[in-house]
Amino acid sequence: MKPSSSLRAALALAATAWCASAWAAAGEAQAWWIWPAVLFVLTFLLGIVAVIGGIGGGVLFVPIVGSFLPFHLDFVRGAGLVLALAGTLAAAPLLLRSQLANLRLVLPLALAGSVASTAGAVVGLSLPTAVVQTALGVTVMAVALLLWMTKSAENVGGESDALGELLRLRGEFDDPSLGRRIDWKTHRTITGVASFAGIGFFGGVFGLGAGFANVPALNLLMGAPLKVAVASSGLIISIINSSAAWVYINRGAVMPLVAVPSLLGISLGSRLGARLLRITPAAVVRRIVIVVMLIAGVRALLRGLGVWP
Amino acid sequence: MRPPPDDDAQQVYARWLDHGTKLALAVSVIALFLYLSGALAPWVPLESLPRVWSLPVEQFLERTGAPSGWGWIRLAGYSDYLNYAGIALFALVSVPCLLRAIPCFLRRGERLQAALAAAQVLVLAAAASGIFTGGR
Repeated sequence: MKPSSSLRAALALAATAWCASAWAAAGEAQAWWIWPAVLFVLTFLLGIVAVIGGIGGGVLFVPIVGSFLPFHLDFVRGAGLVLALAGTLAAAPLLLRSQLANLRLVLPLALAGSVASTAGAVVGLSLPTAVVQTALGVTVMAVALLLWMTKSAENVGGESDALGELLRLRGEFDDPSLGRRIDWKTHRTITGVASFAGIGFFGGVFGLGAGFANVPALNLLMGAPLKVAVASSGLIISIINSSAAWVYINRGAVMPLVAVPSLLGISLGSRLGARLLRITPAAVVRRIVIVVMLIAGVRALLRGLGVWP
Repeated sequence: MRPPPDDDAQQVYARWLDHGTKLALAVSVIALFLYLSGALAPWVPLESLPRVWSLPVEQFLERTGAPSGWGWIRLAGYSDYLNYAGIALFALVSVPCLLRAIPCFLRRGERLQAALAAAQVLVLAAAASGIFTGGR
């Protein structure tokens, strides 16, 4: 696949969502068999675009599927957590072995995030759907703006704080692009733990993986190198989403017809996206992702407010 | 090359996670095939799903007689709830990895890391137990 094909994937994503929405609205939703195929294609494209755009699949899946496809938001959020979980679990072993993801860094942050995401999932399943849909629309639009404005810091550093020293939040990894081994340590540990509690709560409420927030928190706030931040974010999501996913599973809010084709589609798409990452103009794809998120956010907001049901 | 101080726990965690994730993926693929091909009957007929998939979860459970909590296990002979086995494996796979990492941390005298891993296991076990479900 050439770089331009990745751009087509982003455009095809928007077109697929739009066609599915129009089809559902036209009363064709009674044909059950088409929806697993639509979800598989949609999440396959999402997987490609999400990896190249540098975000998790869940933050695109929940607003797009929840706003344009006929499934109730409860099942979409349940599926969103499961697919983010499956996608990050698939990548985590390789990232741990390469020492880009760091288990010691992940443990305190994931613990705070897990407790909060469990609470968030309970809250999310207790609130009226219209409230969650409206808040989702606002959140997704805010995330799109955050992605637009946030810059990453490649070269970070600074001294570790006392808690960071106690928890030994430091590591090293080989960076082939620089041709040397990078030593790193993090700081602002308490603020970082608090941030992950907040991120976990929102992830639980909306069924998102929240990689869009994890990476800046690790990179810009705690000072982890960008590669360590991206890799460790995936491992954090794999643990945080497990606890939130159990709340949705136990509530009965995971519908296999929605969740399983989606997790398979995003797993395959993410693998292809990872291969395309080096040859694709990521900045262009990222801009398309932001536009798609803004459209999905507006749609979720209008649906939540009852303006465009 | 000097190994990182948490190399042991991290490598063991990675190895167990790799095996567990592959198992969960394999179960999910097989269960989905049985579900969509009709080789194994579902609890909720596929033809009737379009009438209920836009309902909130409470109404869906009421209309279909579908279980909540761990009730899906007694329906695992139906293809839709067999899919829950794959999903549950994905959601549980971190637990044995964390449990296996604890002795590795302890061997290195890293009691704080071991305690964090143990606490994480307790949080995941509490979430999986069905204590927290929410409801409107």
